[in-house]
Amino acid sequence: MSRVTRIFFPVIIGVSLQVCAQQTPAAHNDVVIKNAVVMTVTHGNIQNGSVYIKDGKIAAVGKDVNAPSSAAVIDAGGKYLTPGIIDSHSHIALDDDVNEATSPVTPQMMMMDAFDYQDKAIYRGLAGGVTTSLLLHGSANMIGGQAVVIKHKYGASRDAMLFPGAPRSIKFASGENPKRVYGSKDQLPSTRMGNFAVQRAALVEAQDYMRDWDEYNAKVKRGDNDAKPPKHDLKLEALADVLRGKLLVQIHCYRADELLTEMAMAKEFGYKVRAFHHALEAYKVAGDLAAQGVAIATFSDWWGYKQEAWDAIPWNAVISMRKGVRVAIKSDSEDFARRLNQEAAKTMRYGGATEEEALKMITINPAWIIGVDDRVGSIEVGKDADLVLWEGYPLSSFGLPEKVLIDGDVYFDRSLPGFGMPHYREGE
Amino acid sequence: MRKQSPVVVRRALETVVGRWSLVVGQLLLASAVCLYAGSAWAQAKTVVLKGGKLLTVSHGTIENGVLVISAGKIAAVGAAGSVKIPKDADVIDVTGMTVYPGLIDSESYLGLTEISAEDSTNDLIETSDEIMPHMHVYDAFHAESELIPVARLNGITNAIVAPQTQDTLPGQDAFIQLDGKSANDMLLSRDIAMPLNFTGEQRRNESWEKRKFPQTRMGLASQLRQAFIDARDYSERWAEYERQKSDTTKAEGKKDSPSPPKHDLKLEALLPYLQGKKTIVLAAKDASDLQTAVSLAREFNLKFVLNHISHSQRVLDYVASLNVPVIVGPIYEDPKDFERYDAVYRLPAELHKRGVKIAFASYDAHAVRNLPYAAGYATAFGLPHDEALKAITLTPAEIWGVADRLGSLDVGKTANVVVANGDPLNVKTDVKRVFIDGRQIPMTSRQTELRDRYSGQ
Repeated sequence: MSRVTRIFFPVIIGVSLQVCAQQTPAAHNDVVIKNAVVMTVTHGNIQNGSVYIKDGKIAAVGKDVNAPSSAAVIDAGGKYLTPGIIDSHSHIALDDDVNEATSPVTPQMMMMDAFDYQDKAIYRGLAGGVTTSLLLHGSANMIGGQAVVIKHKYGASRDAMLFPGAPRSIKFASGENPKRVYGSKDQLPSTRMGNFAVQRAALVEAQDYMRDWDEYNAKVKRGDNDAKPPKHDLKLEALADVLRGKLLVQIHCYRADELLTEMAMAKEFGYKVRAFHHALEAYKVAGDLAAQGVAIATFSDWWGYKQEAWDAIPWNAVISMRKGVRVAIKSDSEDFARRLNQEAAKTMRYGGATEEEALKMITINPAWIIGVDDRVGSIEVGKDADLVLWEGYPLSSFGLPEKVLIDGDVYFDRSLPGFGMPHYREGE
Repeated sequence: MRKQSPVVVRRALETVVGRWSLVVGQLLLASAVCLYAGSAWAQAKTVVLKGGKLLTVSHGTIENGVLVISAGKIAAVGAAGSVKIPKDADVIDVTGMTVYPGLIDSESYLGLTEISAEDSTNDLIETSDEIMPHMHVYDAFHAESELIPVARLNGITNAIVAPQTQDTLPGQDAFIQLDGKSANDMLLSRDIAMPLNFTGEQRRNESWEKRKFPQTRMGLASQLRQAFIDARDYSERWAEYERQKSDTTKAEGKKDSPSPPKHDLKLEALLPYLQGKKTIVLAAKDASDLQTAVSLAREFNLKFVLNHISHSQRVLDYVASLNVPVIVGPIYEDPKDFERYDAVYRLPAELHKRGVKIAFASYDAHAVRNLPYAAGYATAFGLPHDEALKAITLTPAEIWGVADRLGSLDVGKTANVVVANGDPLNVKTDVKRVFIDGRQIPMTSRQTELRDRYSGQ
């Protein structure tokens, strides 16, 4: 070690401690963004608009807002301001722990247990304007695990990244993936019949489990002290929560016939499907989906990567939307997550979505799918101040996030050197 | 080499035969046109695109321009008023539209796959050996692929078709046009170039059970070196044979004529590259791999262009000093964890700044249609817009030696022309018309048929 290094070593430690301490910004922010084209998503665009942020929430939105003189000012210089992008289908930050592919029914898997909050993909998504993601189990299993909802506060602590109070979601899957994974091991399921038989059997087992507990609880209530409680079973407990409607059911499903079967099964067992994911043939049965109030989280134009993606067309999103389906464009990929704005813009070209419709597909609609649309997904008073200030028009090939705010704090600023993060610098 | 090996002689002969059959083909085509004047393959009558904004690529933008297409070629280009409109022409008003040359994808897998996960539809790569220069994608090219109309509906009219990249020498590329009666029509140039891949992905090290030679970069490099040395020896053996044969013929009375060496397709395939007659597409991503690959190429005096160089940001001045074009990307490749989020996005701009000629590629089959968007996104990170458009038109035409026919709106060039309602590089822009060889392509694909079948219900 050179003398210089030795001398500066304590100083370096001091700096790094300070940086660590700065990683979570102050709890009380007080910021006004002025002179922006505010794309509220839910109530139009405001030219020369302002947004006042207080304590992490949007406190005022409009042409002119009453902000105290204490508020820090960000002059948007006429640039576009949108809500943070929301990705309703992601597998980042799981260090490849995406599929517990050892049994086709694993609802007791908690993605939270695999959540790797230091994964740089969180940062790269943030730099693309993504502020909230739903991290899902993979599609190897008919019934996979329970999701975790994160905010992309890269550099913050693990717990600070969790979306507080987000509802629980569970991932189901159907079609080629489960049948290939288990079929290749010569196990059930290896066909679509097998797939749905496995799913139905698991749900029936959960019904029995629920009945046993209901009976036991009824006995206890009657004062039967000899009543023996049934054995706790994490797997069936999770499925019982599906049947009780406590979990949002997110189903990976491609083919039109399977979309119908999944909806029929949900009806048979009395739960609701929140959204079909991928849903590349949704356009063939969009009326049925709309009637059941089931959303879709789909790709803009990805196709042909497997047989069940062969009938995928880039007009899927808009045809489905026009027939009343709530549509989200999602990434399912670390790459697409970095430019979901472009993916959404493609719906303007393929089918003629309006600017606002396209923007909804990456903001308020995915927020609804995740069950956090009362908190994020539009620029409205009372919502979390998750915002993106764009250089260039966001719904094009050319728009780039300049600043990304989460809960009112700037987490990404393109003008900064290094990684462009005010609260986090690597290697110091 | 003092004399041409028989291999080369044979190739020359093939070229002659090829030319002859081309002439015959054109005669046949001409008669077919007479017989089926109404078919899609008929040479349409003269077409005039009037009132559009012409992005010529070679000589700037012409607002309110006129472009005349005749006999499959661009017959005139210019501002309204300066170009004479032929009397019997079909005049199409394209006011408000943008007109630009057909886009060229510098690496695709079109015609080698339909459904990625279904092996029966894939002819992408032969992985039984790493040295497979005698694989020719033209032998597998599926002209009727459903992917081709999907790609050309977005204005891509020409592409390199390459084998996939798991081998160091996976075979030879073809240059195609995305419309034609058959594979023979669409394969404009067979064996146009040969990839040499050195990205680390060619190592046979997927799992401990499957590990075999070459499982390291040392293995890959030594194997490549041996292949080129073998090829050099091979051509020497043939040259020596030719010499002996000639001596035997001259010296009358001698009975023993020399016996020819055994033919070896693999080594024969390497000869045009070893002789610097054709281009190697040298693929590397990391700076260290790039430098190893360049050293190898120099060792054998190979003529090369670079491919990918996605993580070579620290040696861009070195790249510029090589004075060769770069097929850059995919720019969507994730940066390394130590790199800033835009490290790969910025590459095209950084290369352009250093005077390097660049071209974009889709590196895909299903997503070929998205080629212009990569160029568009690169502009957001500093690449000038004109250069971005050039990198999917004129520059690739130059790289692939077809700039006399393709890549810009110039008189005499093949009429591969696109009409769209906006900036070709923007995701929002809708392509309205595509001309290939002057034929107006039906704007339909399997996907539009599905759209039309279900959107009305």
